[in-house]
Amino acid sequence: MKRDAGFRPASRPSLLRRIGRALVPLLWLGPSIVLIAVVVLWPVIEMVRTSLLKISSSGVTLGNRGSANYTDLFDEDALVPVVLRTLLWVAGIVVVTMVLSLAIGQLLNARFPGRRVVRWAVIVPWAASVLMTALIWKWMLDNYSGIVNRVLLDLHVIDKPVNWLGHPHQAMIWMMWVAVFVSLPFTSFVILAGLQSIPGDVYEAARVDGAGAFRTYFGITLPLLRPAVLIASIINVINVFNSFPIIWAMTAGGPGHATDTTTTFMYKLAFYDQHVGESAAMAVVNFVLILVMVLVYLRATRWREEVR
Amino acid sequence: MKRHLIGAIAAGLTVALGVSGCGKGSSSGGDDSDGKTIKFVAAIYDDNTKPFWDALIKDFEAKNSGYKVNLEMVDWTQMDAKVKTYVQTKQVPDILNYNAFSDFARDGLLYKASEVVSPATLSDFTPTFVEQAKFNGEQYTLPFISSARLMFYNKDLFQKAGITDPPKTWADIKADAQKIKKTGAIGYGLPLGPEEAQAEFFSWAMNDNGGWVDSSGKWAINQPANVDTLNFLKDLNKSGLTQPNPESTDRKTVFNQFAQGKIGMAIGGPFTKAGFITPANPNLNFGVTSLPVKNASSQPNTLGVMDVLDAFKKNDGKNKEAVKKFLDFFYQKDNVSRFLAKEGFLPTTKSAGDALSSDPYMKQFVDALPTSKFAPTSNPAWSAVAGAVKQSLGTSVADKDPKKVLDEIQQTAEKAS
Repeated sequence: MKRDAGFRPASRPSLLRRIGRALVPLLWLGPSIVLIAVVVLWPVIEMVRTSLLKISSSGVTLGNRGSANYTDLFDEDALVPVVLRTLLWVAGIVVVTMVLSLAIGQLLNARFPGRRVVRWAVIVPWAASVLMTALIWKWMLDNYSGIVNRVLLDLHVIDKPVNWLGHPHQAMIWMMWVAVFVSLPFTSFVILAGLQSIPGDVYEAARVDGAGAFRTYFGITLPLLRPAVLIASIINVINVFNSFPIIWAMTAGGPGHATDTTTTFMYKLAFYDQHVGESAAMAVVNFVLILVMVLVYLRATRWREEVR
Repeated sequence: MKRHLIGAIAAGLTVALGVSGCGKGSSSGGDDSDGKTIKFVAAIYDDNTKPFWDALIKDFEAKNSGYKVNLEMVDWTQMDAKVKTYVQTKQVPDILNYNAFSDFARDGLLYKASEVVSPATLSDFTPTFVEQAKFNGEQYTLPFISSARLMFYNKDLFQKAGITDPPKTWADIKADAQKIKKTGAIGYGLPLGPEEAQAEFFSWAMNDNGGWVDSSGKWAINQPANVDTLNFLKDLNKSGLTQPNPESTDRKTVFNQFAQGKIGMAIGGPFTKAGFITPANPNLNFGVTSLPVKNASSQPNTLGVMDVLDAFKKNDGKNKEAVKKFLDFFYQKDNVSRFLAKEGFLPTTKSAGDALSSDPYMKQFVDALPTSKFAPTSNPAWSAVAGAVKQSLGTSVADKDPKKVLDEIQQTAEKAS
């Protein structure tokens, strides 16, 4: 690096100038620091603060409540099943999404006539609003006029209409399917990008060494896709964990709390039980859960060696 | 190692925060301190609501120069969340069209009714509703519209099933539902999903002398009569006389099916005809009768429902004058009855009552009003109780034990009080 004449190491710059120089990077970093502070850190501080307050059912803040909101939350009978269900919901959706996306990514990467059309078609569920998709599925699964029942009745798979969203277990499986459906486009495109970054000569070398298709996929493609899989699954875990519209539109977490995840449970605490403080406590717990899950995942996959 | 960990935490934080930490909250400010501009948040009842208020406000502003009313329309599904945000961010509207008031009154947010309407308007309210508008013996809110519930039945299905008389008792309901089931239709439509479980349940429980509170006003949600009521409803469900899964069925689903002639009986309100039956199947041959009673000898009660206008304290009372002008303007007989006629609701004022009685369909509901029993909306804990009922009451007719479900709701009620 070439230096200015004034900055010759022999003459020590004045203290003021040194501070000034140290602050220069702030000009570039400043806006993003401010942005993070305002849109990321501040809401989190507010969230934690709210979880310690006593807030009346009308919304007026009545003072401090210490950890009582947390005690109330941990006293809820529904809490443990809801958290376990949330973990199952996240794991199920992310695993199925990743497996399907690996296949779709492979398909989109292959050369075939009409590939452009297929690529666009895969994007469509992404472009449609999640709420809209969920509502469409809700009506497709409707007991009285849903198309799913109609088709299954005509095929004689069932002999009378099934109220799919009325039974907690069936409802959960259908909602997980919808969540997979809306997560596929993003995930398969991340995989596709990963596939395109694998250089062709690696495959050539494998072919020369006599590796079959199976061996090539598990020996070369999958290991080299690790960064893409890693990123895609972390983002999916967080998205799915916080997924609200699908469950809210399709079953609203009911009957009872039988299809609630932490996110819908949190909403119900605030707006059905009129307990904003306890809801904020749930939000903090939810936040810590996500944080722990992401950290464990990053540790387990030793991400630093992959994503540089 | 340590640096790695810190790096990982930092990265994890950023990712987690970026997605989970996004708060919502948008509120229009516009805090006018001249006291002549007020904000009115109105609920959307149907497509006619906004044009009505737009016209009324235009008329008001023309007749009261210098005064201005900013209207904001909010859908009922958004209302609770919006109202909480208004209060928490200290951006309450001057007038709010809502279904609750007592917790605002308890927290000192509302004007007394006598401060915001003229004595003439105040004395025009029907006494039944004034009672519901009181908190600690003082009227804090203005009754806006009311509604009542009656039993709707499909006359064609009744004829097909060989039933001659409308149902009067619980036993009739069960017997008729069995006969209707044999024709292939659904006997009774039971909506115990989150939309309005509290209304459906109370419509039954009150006619078995059950209810939310005992005679001294204490919560009595797990009283034997209520358990008895749920056991009866559970029996209807388990005998296959209702639509499948009452615990997750909302009122609108039941009424859409009723309108299509697929359900024999269901409890509905004045809005049921204009809102559900006329649009889907105007030729439906239906009748309306009183709510069924447990004991043939007792008098049937009806569920009364009341929405209100809350007037919030703002700017040290500077808004009082404008609020009063606007409210007195709205409560003129012609304006109120025009609103009621358009929306299909019942009056809360004496002067508007006569206008509706000319319609034979509406008259049945107006006539039922004196037998109304109300949910304890003047108790500030009611909204938490209603929330708990919406979430869990339905499960009692499916796989949970009615007594246990009611015990839990009772606990919620005592905790919230």
